[in-house]
Amino acid sequence: MEPIVRLENVTKNYRGVPAVKNVTFDLRKGEIHALLGENGAGKSTLTKIIAGVVEATSGRMFHNGREIAYASPHAALEAGIAMVFQETSLVPSMTVAQNLYLGTEKFLNRLRGTYISAQQFLQSLNFPVDPNAMVATLGAAKRQMVEIARAVHHNAEIIIFDEPTATLTPEEKRHFFALIRRLKAGGVSIVFISHALEEALAIADRITILRDGELVITDDTAAFDRDRIVAAMVGRTLSGQIYRQRDEAKLRKAGKKVLSVQDISMSNVVRNNSFSIFEGQITGVFGLIGSGRTETFKIVSGIYKRDFLRGGTIELDDRPVRYLVPSEAVADGIVYVTEDRKSEGIFETMGIAENLFGGLLAAGREKAWVINQQEMRQLSAEWTRTLNIKAINDNARVVELSGGNQQKVVIGKGLVQKPRIVIFDEPTRGVDVGAIAEIHQIINRLADEGLAVVVISSYLPEIMNLSDRILVCRQGRIVEEFSPAEATEEKIMYAAVH
Amino acid sequence: MNAIGRPSFRSLNQEGIVFAIAVALFAAAAIGLPGFLTADNIVAIVRSVSVLGILALGMAVVIIGRGIDLSAVAIMAMSVAWYLQLLNTGTPDGLAFAYVLVGVLAIGLLNGFLVAYADVPAIFVTLATGSFVFGYVRSQLITQDAVPVPQGHWVELLGGLRFLDIPVEVFVFAGLAFLFFLFLRYTKWGRYIYFAGDNPVAARNIGIPVRPMLVLRYVLSAFVALIAGLLTAASLHSINTRVVNSTLLYDIVLVAVIGGIGLSGGRGGVRNVLVGAALIGILLNAMTIIDIPLLYQNLIKAAILLGAIIVDGIINPRDEQTAQQGDI
Repeated sequence: MEPIVRLENVTKNYRGVPAVKNVTFDLRKGEIHALLGENGAGKSTLTKIIAGVVEATSGRMFHNGREIAYASPHAALEAGIAMVFQETSLVPSMTVAQNLYLGTEKFLNRLRGTYISAQQFLQSLNFPVDPNAMVATLGAAKRQMVEIARAVHHNAEIIIFDEPTATLTPEEKRHFFALIRRLKAGGVSIVFISHALEEALAIADRITILRDGELVITDDTAAFDRDRIVAAMVGRTLSGQIYRQRDEAKLRKAGKKVLSVQDISMSNVVRNNSFSIFEGQITGVFGLIGSGRTETFKIVSGIYKRDFLRGGTIELDDRPVRYLVPSEAVADGIVYVTEDRKSEGIFETMGIAENLFGGLLAAGREKAWVINQQEMRQLSAEWTRTLNIKAINDNARVVELSGGNQQKVVIGKGLVQKPRIVIFDEPTRGVDVGAIAEIHQIINRLADEGLAVVVISSYLPEIMNLSDRILVCRQGRIVEEFSPAEATEEKIMYAAVH
Repeated sequence: MNAIGRPSFRSLNQEGIVFAIAVALFAAAAIGLPGFLTADNIVAIVRSVSVLGILALGMAVVIIGRGIDLSAVAIMAMSVAWYLQLLNTGTPDGLAFAYVLVGVLAIGLLNGFLVAYADVPAIFVTLATGSFVFGYVRSQLITQDAVPVPQGHWVELLGGLRFLDIPVEVFVFAGLAFLFFLFLRYTKWGRYIYFAGDNPVAARNIGIPVRPMLVLRYVLSAFVALIAGLLTAASLHSINTRVVNSTLLYDIVLVAVIGGIGLSGGRGGVRNVLVGAALIGILLNAMTIIDIPLLYQNLIKAAILLGAIIVDGIINPRDEQTAQQGDI
């Protein structure tokens, strides 16, 4: 069968670092094509090239047999390629109906007519979303539905879904898969990126697996089973090293209780959340997007403020605390390592040394008023060695480093503050496989040194492998605790989605 | 290792380019314009940019912290006008100066408070406070546009002060530039400005007191404006409040931006102000000697400012993720 889209030897470099290397990919008319791979395998980048969001560094793309390169998502949409993004691309201050028709409004536009047709359209998709509701007020799953509805509404012949099911409940997932099958029956070609292997096996016609930006294999779904996919995704050598199952004897025992959180609430994002954190072990926190896990720990580290009334209590060493700004938390030895290093982690105009030194200055341990350049260089040399930060030269700015090295700088910035409690939020997001192992080593070392370590992650193998105890967050609160020895991915996921 | 405070490689390029242009312009003017390369004229150039440069130092600190202070000129002119008016109506010098100092610091605090704690974009806050200061002082506190310096007052004596035939404002500019250099490069608070300007969220997260530092910057800028105003009054023996509605404010931004201080924050330093001031000083002086009408001078300056902002936008892009709506 003639493929509707074909990529030939496509490569995409970000700042010289390849995210996709020499990949050849084709999508047939009316098929469901699953794209699998670990975090950072290049799935999103590959699909963004198809949808015109990013431009390939090299390689060729054919659409319906013609060689093309879409310069913008809009151009791709005009040509019939729609993408449903992982990060939602809706306008929060507009209603669902307005978002649905965004960019396709008629010049004169009757609100009532828009709402009625939006209502009918959403009903035809079986999505229980009120077209009058503002997008900002919707939960993650409903936003996802609006995104999907928008793509379908554009009558696209190709729809790309980037992790569409991550935030959906099992019931919503069933509706979603039924919809996908309906679209397929209507001749629409579908690419969908997923972390959930069972979903891919159940619904896809063909599966493509990427690893470290390279194509591993493309084959009919019938030729795969779970083991073969996992083997292809992680590669044989690495699976043993990074993601081995923990056995009970090797789990660290809980030390002194340092942090006790009771019933903290923040509007409707965090609700009556209670848990404790202990020294000398790694507490893994798993939760889907929108579960309030990040917000909970941002409250703990003083970045967000909990509700003033009925906000609950936080006790550090049995002493109640209520931080107004993060600097108070830092002074108490609580450090939060952000999940979004680009917008809230690194100082991009500066070099490694200054970024690290910033942590020391901010911690207030640097009593002197006058900056000692030599001290800064020593600090930088020491931490660059400890964390194995690799840069082309000493003057390299942080933005010129790879994702993994940037992440190490962000971690180092926190560690120079000599914390007692370190909270890592998605410590390996967008980090290459080699650096993941090193970052995990760093995290393990901190726990061995007796610090209280929290690792927030939405990647199950990471949680399973690092944690000495696992907390699962759902709808703004910790709902279950597991020991890694007894936990399985299924059990954790079950607790997280229900 | 990238020394603290040194502009990054790319903005160093911009600084270098501007410096080269300034040197080229200087050489061209020296050859082509009679009377340009005389000791008197060189002193005149340095003197003419001194007040501008001092104001640009204050502006630079604010811009590095990812803000802007459009009230600087109003504070400069109106504070000194009020001071002189108080003196002329017989208020004791010490008391008058204390009033003015408190007023200036209050406006700086107000600017800083509104930007830092009320989260109003700096461009609107300072535009409003600038207009307010001008309107209030002009209508309530002083009686005419220009207020003269009283006979024999220290401000007048200051204006006559010479050392090696060089007027005093040049030394004040040099001294302030050096102090700002030390502050920005070697003190903790100075470094905080760079961190907060580069990435305010990250700065807050690692425990830098972002908001108090923001207030400090606007207070500093207001205080510097007061010094610039006193020097202006010293050299002209009066202060004309019409300067508030002149292009001086844009000249200040021009000096800072053309020197390579990125409007996106975190970039640049005192050296960039010096380079920018040198270029603008030479340019203005040369245009005056050639006798280009003032209207055309403004047109040329406007074109240069526009060009500098566009180049700044290209060289120091502020990407979507760090961009905030409404700020400059």
